Formats: sequence, structure tokens, C-alpha cells
Amino acid sequence: MTTAEFSLAGIVLLPLLASAVAVLLGSRVRAVLGILTALLICGLCTAVLIQTAAGGITELALGGYEAPLGIRLRADGLSALFLCLSAVVGTVVSAHAAILPASAGHPGFWPLWLGCWSGLNAVFVSGDLFNTYVGLELVGLTAVALVALGGRDSWMPALRYLFVAVLGSLLFLVGVGLILAAAGTLDMEQAAQQLAETPEAHAAAVFALCLMSVGLVLKLALMPMHRWLIPAHAGAPGAVSPLLSALVIKAALFVILRLWLWVMPLDATTEAETGLAEGLSTALTALAWTLGGFGALAVILGSVMALRQDRLKPLVAYSTVAQVGYWFLFLPLLLDPEAGALEGQPGTTLAEDAVLSGALSGSVALALGHGVAKAGLFLAAGLLKELWGTDEIESLRGAGRRHPLLILSMGLCAVGLIGLPISLGFTGKWHLATSAVAAEHWWIIAVLVLGTLLSAGYLLRGIAPLLLQDAKDPQDQEHDAAQDADASAESPRRQRLAEVPAFVLGLLTVLTGFLAVGIDALMGVGAPW
Amino acid sequence: MSGLLPEDVSLAVPDIALGLALLTAAGCALIPRSRLALAAGFLSLGALTALVWLRLDSVDVGLAEAGLGGGILGALLVWLAIRSPHSPAPDSAETISTTQPTSGTRRTSRPILNPRTLLGCAAGAVLGGGLCLVWFQVLHALPAWSEPLEEQMETTGVTHEITGVLLAFRAYDTLLESAVLMLAGVAVMALGRDGGLHQLSLPQPEVPSALRWLVRLCAPVLLLAGLWLLFAGSSDSGGAFQSGAVLCSLLILLRTAHALPSRERTEPWIRPLLIGGVVVFILAGLVGPLLADPLLSEAWLSWQPQWATAAVLSVEILLTIGIAVGLFLMYLTLENPEGVQ
Repeated sequence: MTTAEFSLAGIVLLPLLASAVAVLLGSRVRAVLGILTALLICGLCTAVLIQTAAGGITELALGGYEAPLGIRLRADGLSALFLCLSAVVGTVVSAHAAILPASAGHPGFWPLWLGCWSGLNAVFVSGDLFNTYVGLELVGLTAVALVALGGRDSWMPALRYLFVAVLGSLLFLVGVGLILAAAGTLDMEQAAQQLAETPEAHAAAVFALCLMSVGLVLKLALMPMHRWLIPAHAGAPGAVSPLLSALVIKAALFVILRLWLWVMPLDATTEAETGLAEGLSTALTALAWTLGGFGALAVILGSVMALRQDRLKPLVAYSTVAQVGYWFLFLPLLLDPEAGALEGQPGTTLAEDAVLSGALSGSVALALGHGVAKAGLFLAAGLLKELWGTDEIESLRGAGRRHPLLILSMGLCAVGLIGLPISLGFTGKWHLATSAVAAEHWWIIAVLVLGTLLSAGYLLRGIAPLLLQDAKDPQDQEHDAAQDADASAESPRRQRLAEVPAFVLGLLTVLTGFLAVGIDALMGVGAPW
Repeated sequence: MSGLLPEDVSLAVPDIALGLALLTAAGCALIPRSRLALAAGFLSLGALTALVWLRLDSVDVGLAEAGLGGGILGALLVWLAIRSPHSPAPDSAETISTTQPTSGTRRTSRPILNPRTLLGCAAGAVLGGGLCLVWFQVLHALPAWSEPLEEQMETTGVTHEITGVLLAFRAYDTLLESAVLMLAGVAVMALGRDGGLHQLSLPQPEVPSALRWLVRLCAPVLLLAGLWLLFAGSSDSGGAFQSGAVLCSLLILLRTAHALPSRERTEPWIRPLLIGGVVVFILAGLVGPLLADPLLSEAWLSWQPQWATAAVLSVEILLTIGIAVGLFLMYLTLENPEGVQ
């Protein structure tokens, strides 16, 4: 067994082992163990990445039992990209939590977060539908517990999050059952093959896709189902909110992409001509347009709601709601027969499947860019709240004088979230826009432009006051006093050091823009076309 | 559709009665206002569900349903119902936070037909109807693993197929599920006062001496039943989850009868026992890839035939203990929700 194959299971099981062992340790040792595990995960992730970059799909049959009897782990380009995101963001945020234990809320953070990390990786490398469900459960339960670490006030949001997450999981599980009944196997690749071959099973597959999409979208907080996210993400401890926004909701996004593009027999369903199949095709198109429409709604209404916030953390949380919308805009492109037809016509310079691959890699780039940038922004906002005792934008006026590095990193993250060149956000929007133009879906362009303008508005509104210098007013001196009181609790050097992880994420937001070509190439490994 | 009813309709009568009883029990578990009635409805729902699983020849699922769904969860609900019999209004948390910050906002009447209920019923109806329609359309594909399952059973070290699936073929899923339970225990410990063990040091209410005697009589039987479920699991129905539930109920009973050792003596054991199963499971899974012959492709979580039985059995014993302790921790914390932090 190669290193990559060993890493594939190791990246799930070793963090889980660390999580279990951490239960026995004291809080300081837990942080050390957490950092060591993070480094280990980075190493294992690199092994998988190298294999994938060389163009190979890593596969591992656990216990030596091949599917359909056993469970197969599988890492293609999409898995490798999301694994890297979780490794990078997870490591930086773990470092922050180790530097500033107060930001973790409670020493219980470490076992729960390591368990959550293990679940995230389990979802990203899973090749089996039921195993994906178990991974999602692991992520959901630990995420709820992490929110609840924020103290008594965050228990209610955590409970609400639990209900939403469990409802989403149940809908997903019913879908898994339907696919099992129709295809006779839980392995994704085999199920996809089986479904493509048996047109009678398409009705079940489409209904399952509806249920699973609704369940996952609940976990992802797409616009009409977004209410739970704001108090949960805003009320969580400083080191937890970045993990929730950057990574936890990405697990559901990853499963949605897998289902729509890898498992469902979209071509077979849309191309069939008979009466029933036509109805199914209409249903599928309607579902894609509904989700795409919700996405557009989220981009615009979420941004407007973010504009109206007076506190930093809820503002960043609403920004997450808005950004989630971008990832669904490409779904109508997926099912538009015109989009594919355009490529074959003489006179167009588009390569085979260029529209679809462009739209998909654009959406994935947006999601990855959001992961890094939002983690940085939430980390900085959490730290400000920690240091100043409040996250009201008005009372944080002039915070930039005291924490220039922190505000600089917030600005860098904002560059990524708005989608200014050279960040990954820009690349994603560019890819999505060019695909939309090629497929003549002009509404996507309108949503992108409007969303970009609005996001620039709310981020400026959130960050600009921090940079403004007031004349020395009594309130300011009050803050100085509060600051000094805080400083005596945590050493100032530690506080300075705690600004570094947010800055690293800010830098990464901009620098990852250079990797955009690599992302396109990686997406091609094991792509559905 | 013709396969829906058997030729002789009289054969279907018990099933139909069972289904109707299930629906009634579900109604009893949802509609009444008093918590005691709700808990009673839930208990009967659990018992009936277990019967349905038995009727479907799924003994393992039936046992798990009876142990976890009916047993432990039922015990918790009954306990909560006895402590505070009145259920608050469904939206009391929102009402309290937005309008009147007093406890007097408890609604006296709950309209049965408010828009939310209707929306919920409509969603349920669409879901149920859609599922039924699709279900009858599906050409039920037989699970593709039936043949390989029979071929590979010998390598697992157990003879019961469900245990084979749980601990060999799909051991990875079982491992992640036990991790979910372990982390639920960890979460409870992190959120509860005093590491979740505060309850252990509180004095228990006095119970009639008859109950104490009864518990002392029942305890050995429960212990035996738990162990039987555990060890029978390798050749018959039963296994770690069911056995863990029975052992947890034993712990709960011992606690009510003041028969549990003092906190000082139990505390050092709780954490190691909680995580033991998961740790040993992963370490046993590591043996394959670490000691692998480089020529063979030894994967994670593969058991060598010569020590498969030993590995599976020790993992299962430790998992059972971990599950029992995890469930007991949850019971401890929920026993007195006001006592938490």
C-alpha cells in the first residue's frame, strides 16, 4: 500500500485517535496535541495531493473488502482540493486557539474540534453514500457542541442548529435509502453506473436527489433556510466561528456537488425522450432552477441584510449567507441543453465541456476562496470581540490604531470576499461569468455584479470605521482602560502573536489567487466528463 | 401494485392492526399537552416499533430500538416528565426573549390548526406520498453484496452476518458511529458543570426500600442479559450497541438505588472507559498497515484471520463499555438540566 493510500484512511482515523486521547489530557497538553495533529494532517494531505496532482485517483478498500460489500475511500481532484482547504484553515485556526486559549471557549474544544476535523476529512474522501451520512453526522454533532461552548447564551442557537442539522441528515438518509433500493449498492461509483443503466430507477433517483438536496441545503443555510446560521455562527467562540463558516458548511456543499455531478445520471435523464423521462427531466430542471434562484436570492438579500448589521460578527455571518448563494448559481447551467450544444457548433472556440467545467471550477474556486477569506475575517472579528469586549462596529471605532495588523488582515480577507483581482474569489467569479456568457445565461452576470457591489458595501461599512481616527474622546480613554485591564489578564505578547494567524489567512486569501490554474488542473482529475 | 396485499387478506390483519397502533402511538407521543402523557405515548411507540422490526425479521434492529429508543430515551423522558410535568409553549424561548421576559408567558391554549402545523402536515404528506409513489416504481434491486457476503464470511472470525458487516465489512462506519457517541459524551462533559460529573456528588432522593431490594434482585439479571447480548452477538442477534444500552440501564437503576460507588471511586474510570473502545479500534486497525508485508496490500482495519476473532471480540467489549458509559453520562447531565453550568 502506497503512502497516499495509507494517508487516505490516516487523515480520518489519526485525528479521531488524537481526539479520543485528548479527552484524557490536561488543557495545555491538549493544545500541543492539537498542533501536532494539525501538522500530521498537513503531511498526510500533501501525500494525497501529490498523487492527485500526478493525475492519479487514490483509492483504498478498507479492510481489504472491495465494494459493494466493503467501503471504498476515494480521493479525486475535488476531494484533494477540499482536503487542502480543511488542512490549511484547520491548522491556522488551531494555532490561533493554541496561542489564545480563551478564544476556544473551553478545553473541551480540542477533542471536539479534532473529531469534527476527522469527520470533515471523512466526508471529503468517502466513496460510499452511507459512510458520507456517518461523516456528516460526526461533523454536525461536533459542530453543535462547539457552538454551545460559547456559553449559556449560545445554547439556544446551538439547539436550533441541532434540530436543523438532524432534520437535514434524516432527509439525506431517506435519499440514501431510495438510491440503495434503486441501485442495490451504496458505493457512489457503482450506484452511478447502475442508475445510468436502469431507466426505471430514474424516478427514485430524482426524488432521492430532491430530498438529499433539501437536506443538505438546510445544513448549508441557503437563503430561505438560513435563519439558524446567524446566531449560531455569531454566538460561537472566536476560534469556532471561522471553522464553522469556512469548513463545516463546505462538507454539505461537497456532498451536493458529488451527488449532482458524480452520482446522478443527468445525461441519461435529460436525453431520454419518452413521456415519463420527460417529466423527470422537467422536475430535475425545476429543482436546479429553484436552487439557482435561491442562490441568487441569497446573494442579494443576504448582502442587504449584512449591510444592515451593526455588529461585526453577525455582519460576517450574513456575509456567509450571501456567499453561499454563489455556489448554487451554476446549477441551471448544468441542465441547460443549449449550454452543451454550443460547444459542438462550428465557429465557437469552446473546447469540449468547457462551459460546464468552467462553471464548476469557478464555483469550487469561489467556495475555496470563501473558506480561506471567511476564516480570516471571522478570526479577526472574534479576536477584536475578545480584546474589546464587544463587537459593535460603533464602539470599535479607531481599533486600527491599536491593532494595525489585525485590520490589515481583515482588509486582505475583504479583497477575497469581494472578489477583487488577484484573489481566488476573483478567479471564481471570472470563470463563472465567462461560462454564463458562453451559455447566454445573462442573469448570472447581473447577480454577480450586484453581489460584488453589495459585498464591497457591507465590508467597507464593517471595516472602514475601524480605521477612522477619532479625536481623543472620553469613550476612547475608557477603551484604553479596558484594554489595559485585558492586557493584565493575557500577556500582551500573546495577544500580538494571536493576530498572526488571521494575518496568515489574509495573505493566503490573496496569494492563493496564483494557484487558480492548479485548481483547474486538479478539478480535471476524476471529473465527471 | 398487486404484490401489496397477500392473496389471503386475513393474513394481513395483524400487520394492519400493528400499523394502525403505531400511528395511534405516534399521535399520542405528539398531540397531548401533558408531558407525562407524551412520555407514555413515546414509550408505547418505542415498544410497537420494536415489534414492527421483529415482524420484519430484523431482530437486531428491534433489539436496538427497544434498548436505545424505547429504553434509555424513554427513561430520560419519563424522568423529565416527572420533574416538570407541564410542557412550555412550543415557541416559549422566542416569546420570552422578544416580548415578555417573565415566566408567565406560558400559553394556556394551543390552537391545533395554526399555519405552522398545517405547513408541517403538508410537508409530511408530500414527503410520504412521494416516497410511496416512487417506492412502487422502483424495480427493487437486490443488494449487490449478498453473494460476496457469503463468500467472505469465513474471514471475519464471526458467524452472524450482521456482526460481520458491523465489525469487518463496514467496520469503518461502526468506528465513526461509536466516535459520534463518544463525542456526544465529551460534549456533555464539556457543557455540564464540573466536567459533567456534578450529578454524581449530589445526594439522591430517598426511594422506598422495596425498590432498592427490587433493583438489587434485578441487577444481576440485567448484567447477565447485557453480557449475553454482547457475546451472543458473534453468532446470533445482539451486539455492542444493544448490550451497551442494557448495561447503561443497569447503571441508571443502581444509581437510583444508591448502589453505585462514591464519586471519588468512579471518577478516574469514566474518561478512560469512555474512549477505550474507539482508541483500541483505531489501534487494531493500524496493525494491518504497520505490520504489513510490503508485497501484500494490507489495508487499514483489516483483521488477519488468525487473530480476527480476538480482535473483533476485544474491540466489541470495549465499545460496549464505552457506549454504556457515554449513554450514562448523557443521562447524568440531563437528569438535572438546571444543575448544569
